[in-house]
Amino acid sequence: MHKFWLVARAEYLRLVRRRAFLLATFGMPLLIMLIIGVSILLSVRSERGNLPLGVVDEAGVLVADLAPERYAGEDGPEIRIFESREAADAALNAADIQAYYVLNKGYLQSGQVELYYWDEPPKADARSAFDRFMRANLLADQPEAVQRRLLQGVDLVLRTADGRRQASENDFASFVLPFVIGMFFVFVVMGTAGYLLQAVTTEKENRMVEVMFTSVGSYKLIAGKALGLMAVALTQVGMWILAVAVGVMIAARYITFLQTLQAPWGFLGLVLLFFLPTYALIAGIMITVGSMVTELQQAQQIAGMVNLLFVVPFFFTVFLFTNPDNAVMVALTLFPTTAFITVAMRWGVTVIPIWQLVLSWVLLAGSAVTSVWVAARVFRVGMLRYGQSISLRGLYALLSGQRTG
Amino acid sequence: MSEPTVSLQHLSKRFGDVQAVSDVSFEVYPGEIFGLLGPNGAGKTTTIRMMLDIFRPDRGEVRVFGGTLDEQAKERIGYMPEERGLYKDQKLEPTLIYLATLKGMAEATARERLYEWLHRLDLYEHRHKKVQDLSRGMQQKAQIIATLIHEPDLIVVDEPFSGLDPVNTRLVKDIMEEQRQAGKTIIMSTHQMYQVEALCNRIVLINRGRVVLYGEVEEIKRRFSAHALVIEGQGDFSNLPGVLDMRRQNGAYHVALAPHVDAQTVLRALAAREDVFIERFELAEPSLEDIFVMVVQREGDDA
Repeated sequence: MHKFWLVARAEYLRLVRRRAFLLATFGMPLLIMLIIGVSILLSVRSERGNLPLGVVDEAGVLVADLAPERYAGEDGPEIRIFESREAADAALNAADIQAYYVLNKGYLQSGQVELYYWDEPPKADARSAFDRFMRANLLADQPEAVQRRLLQGVDLVLRTADGRRQASENDFASFVLPFVIGMFFVFVVMGTAGYLLQAVTTEKENRMVEVMFTSVGSYKLIAGKALGLMAVALTQVGMWILAVAVGVMIAARYITFLQTLQAPWGFLGLVLLFFLPTYALIAGIMITVGSMVTELQQAQQIAGMVNLLFVVPFFFTVFLFTNPDNAVMVALTLFPTTAFITVAMRWGVTVIPIWQLVLSWVLLAGSAVTSVWVAARVFRVGMLRYGQSISLRGLYALLSGQRTG
Repeated sequence: MSEPTVSLQHLSKRFGDVQAVSDVSFEVYPGEIFGLLGPNGAGKTTTIRMMLDIFRPDRGEVRVFGGTLDEQAKERIGYMPEERGLYKDQKLEPTLIYLATLKGMAEATARERLYEWLHRLDLYEHRHKKVQDLSRGMQQKAQIIATLIHEPDLIVVDEPFSGLDPVNTRLVKDIMEEQRQAGKTIIMSTHQMYQVEALCNRIVLINRGRVVLYGEVEEIKRRFSAHALVIEGQGDFSNLPGVLDMRRQNGAYHVALAPHVDAQTVLRALAAREDVFIERFELAEPSLEDIFVMVVQREGDDA
């Protein structure tokens, strides 16, 4: 087997057998399953406790034979019309309904509605069901299409002129999924980059470097390690995505909203495309840091600051909801360390211009190549300087070819 | 003599303002144990690293197995550096197999040969332990296995006896001798001069980055025999002229003289003194340690 693959395999096996890796890889799916289980439980419980709502129409505005599908939402309760307050009160006391509304005689003028309940007022979904019910009744004499439009509001679809891609404001899944998957990748990339740092400094701390250098070339050693760790990252994210997919499939049987979800294949492809150079960039930076310092602890402190460079976009999340195409988000899209997360975050809420995606990827790939080049040079010399750090001045001298060690 | 396994010609290496190695040349042949000696910081490790392509020399030429050191040639080398270790959190057996496969061995062959070595060095029962759970001596033996498991033609060992008890020191010496008899080329760097005397055919002594002694051990000792004395008697033998080093052993003083001082000068000085009574005064064959001290101190005086 090629030595490059031997290094990659050894690195992979070394890491996947670690307790921390097993905990993170299998703990996260368990957590996801737990969250989904609780969601299902709550959903089922809320269905059971989702008693009908009552309405007493003293204003005479309700239409007696209004079909429920005109106003019914996905999870909203049934709505029953009562002749009088007494009848509604009796139903409430008998726990046949959870609450009842009274439309006062002056409702059309004042808009005032009274709500009667025992322990708790109806929850948000029940209230929005009542709102839909009222709108549907008030619009009953309008054509059905007008009613539907007024009830459902505008579905703003953003579409590029070339029809390349579109994003819908009402498509919750397409907004949330990229964000969640992007976050998964970030956790994995950051986590395994930490492993990489550890792998490099461990070789230094264990005095294995010289023996390795007389067996494998430094480029093969670095590339093999990076590949092994990338495989670790992909294993971890693969497990997590699988857990999410299985969880969503199970949960979709109980939660109607999840049935509308579709796998964002285009996004997954894009994430993979950005993942590889992002990983190489992080690997290059981490190897450089690991080679320059003497101890893992020292390296981890610096790595913590480096990680910040990659998670900066999270501090600008507010722009996602206000203006995902403003100058700051565009700059973060183009800047190599922030490109990955920014693209993932923006993907669900806007259509990223193709020039931004291409330029961002080119800058990212260029930075990745540069960082690996720097890493290989620093690695060779830095790893042999037991107990000595390389200063920034030393780093400059090394890169400018003044030291050839 | 056959073709040298290693040939270093006029090697030089500078790190910033420090000239680590300057114009170092020597050759090492198959079937010999070659001593690479020198005080701390003399440039031994830098020389070894240039020989093994870990560092690139600023000037000079390195030839190993008759050519430049490529990937295949590296597989014929077993190297145990002074700064050494193994993955501490890994188990012994997979670690050694991994290192063997990096030297081009098939995994099955590596395992087979590893078991033989583990039995020989009393480590077989410990093969499933993590390296960090082994004693220092056991780790040292594991590193010797890592150096030899792929049957290298060139063995480079830096301080191979450090951390070993007398029994294991003897074992490692036997292994070195065995390898030499099998026609392997062995380069050994150590500060334990008696081990060099016992094992090495030829040596090179490097001081301040330069070669100051190079040749066969016996020939070098003969060359320095006029500058070593053994004196026995009563009284204070300190303050003798031109003495570089004096140590007492079995009741006798072993004296190393500076190059410009001969035994007659010392004898005359002793004869003139009334506070000493001489029972024995003879020229001695100097030990390598004496020669080492003599040469290094002379170099220091000349600087």
